[in-house]
Amino acid sequence: MNRIRIATAGFTVLVALASGCSSMGVEPWERDILAREEMQLTADPVEAAIDDHIYFSKEASSGGRGFGGGGCGCN
Amino acid sequence: MADKDPKSVSAALAAATCSLLGSLPAAPVQAEEEPNWDFNTALLYYGEDNDRVQDLSLNILARRDYLDDRFLTLGLTIDTLTGATPNGAIRQNVPQTFTRPSGSSAYTVPAGELPLDDTFKDTRAAITVGWEQPLGRLWKTGIGFSGSREYDYTHLGLSGSLSRDFNKRNTTVSAGLAVAHDIWDPVGGAPLPFAPMLDVGDTGNKTGSDTKNIVDAVVGITQVVSRRLLVQLNYSLSNASGYLTDPYKFLSLVDGATGDTIPRVPAPGAEGPSHEFRFENRPDERTKHSLYGQAKYYMSGKVLDASYRYMTDDWDIDSHTVDLRLRWPLGEYSYIEPHLRFYTQSEAGFYTISLVDGVELPAHASADYRLGNFDAITAGLKYGWKTSSGSEMSLRAEIYQQNGTIPGELLIGNQVGRETYPDLDAIIVQLSYHFSR
Repeated sequence: MNRIRIATAGFTVLVALASGCSSMGVEPWERDILAREEMQLTADPVEAAIDDHIYFSKEASSGGRGFGGGGCGCN
Repeated sequence: MADKDPKSVSAALAAATCSLLGSLPAAPVQAEEEPNWDFNTALLYYGEDNDRVQDLSLNILARRDYLDDRFLTLGLTIDTLTGATPNGAIRQNVPQTFTRPSGSSAYTVPAGELPLDDTFKDTRAAITVGWEQPLGRLWKTGIGFSGSREYDYTHLGLSGSLSRDFNKRNTTVSAGLAVAHDIWDPVGGAPLPFAPMLDVGDTGNKTGSDTKNIVDAVVGITQVVSRRLLVQLNYSLSNASGYLTDPYKFLSLVDGATGDTIPRVPAPGAEGPSHEFRFENRPDERTKHSLYGQAKYYMSGKVLDASYRYMTDDWDIDSHTVDLRLRWPLGEYSYIEPHLRFYTQSEAGFYTISLVDGVELPAHASADYRLGNFDAITAGLKYGWKTSSGSEMSLRAEIYQQNGTIPGELLIGNQVGRETYPDLDAIIVQLSYHFSR
């Protein structure tokens, strides 16, 4: 039950954010800066994967940006 | 132009008209470009102090752009790991002998030292395959496969994602699902829960391999706030079930008054543990919830990348992670990027540093320091530059430090003052090369 409640709350927040966000943003011709490589959310995918793997191996948390990672019996 | 023959002008016009009407280019101009490959490669060195874990890793990520928003991604990682890692036992004022996981020999740790198992040596190969494509004008989908293999561990995973753009593509709502099936085939077999460590050659405390299944679900929203600000918020749910224990970690069985580990004598003529040790046992299910927020902000050439993650799980672990990067251009062709990361976690409910002799065993227990209470900090600097051929290179160097504390109520007798959290200092050096073909 707790899991369902958290998932419902998360979904509600997302919908609220999505509707609140409709007044934000730029016109299509104003995307020059947003299109730059360094402005992408994951600007360096290999470095992001390496960091996720290191911290997955050394800490009790993983994921967040994407899936939880893993796939190793890391010591 | 003035003295040109009017006939030739009209002929040229007719020819131009015919060519416009009769033979329009067969495909958009864009199609004349060849689909291209983009390669992100990196060589990584990760090294911990005191001869603990060292990793040399080669990473290649190739992405083929089909010029119509379809992408194929292929990834390969090879890791070579060596070094020692804390085995879970506490320090003693006398030397301690342990049977190796293989059960075929033993190793001894000097008095007063943190017991480390130096058997750790592995090569890991991992591959990923991904495909992304649009579905109509506003929807996008992706599917992926991942697989990895090490000597004692196999991972197989599938993932799928779906996203839709809204509001002139300023808002993107996405959802993803990933499932994985992992197989542990530990050296010497998977120990039975809380089984005692036995003499060399005696494998009565172990069984064969075991498995775990992982399901991850992520929903998120990405929002363009302004020309210079992009934000993302994700919620993820992860459920792991099956064999979640670390088959190589154990706990010391101690005297309830002194806190010292109970001595043990190997069978006559046999080599074996000098003290009583019990293999750890974790719950066979774990559910994690994470909230992740990220912002990218452009400030006259500089780009700030800031993220925060909160994680909580049903093992009673809560964690907070803050990650900050500032990309600072140095002229047109190079940049530096300082990086700071702060992490803190509380210990798992079943984390302890020893088991008490003569007292009923808890349902679950682990002394794995990664389930303990600690803070970590990463500080680093990256320098990136463009080569004359238009490729990009970067070199980053970082330090990673863990500082933990053992909750006072877990310390018994002589353990007070003797037992400390196995703090960690590591360095990360990475050389990256990014090019297109």
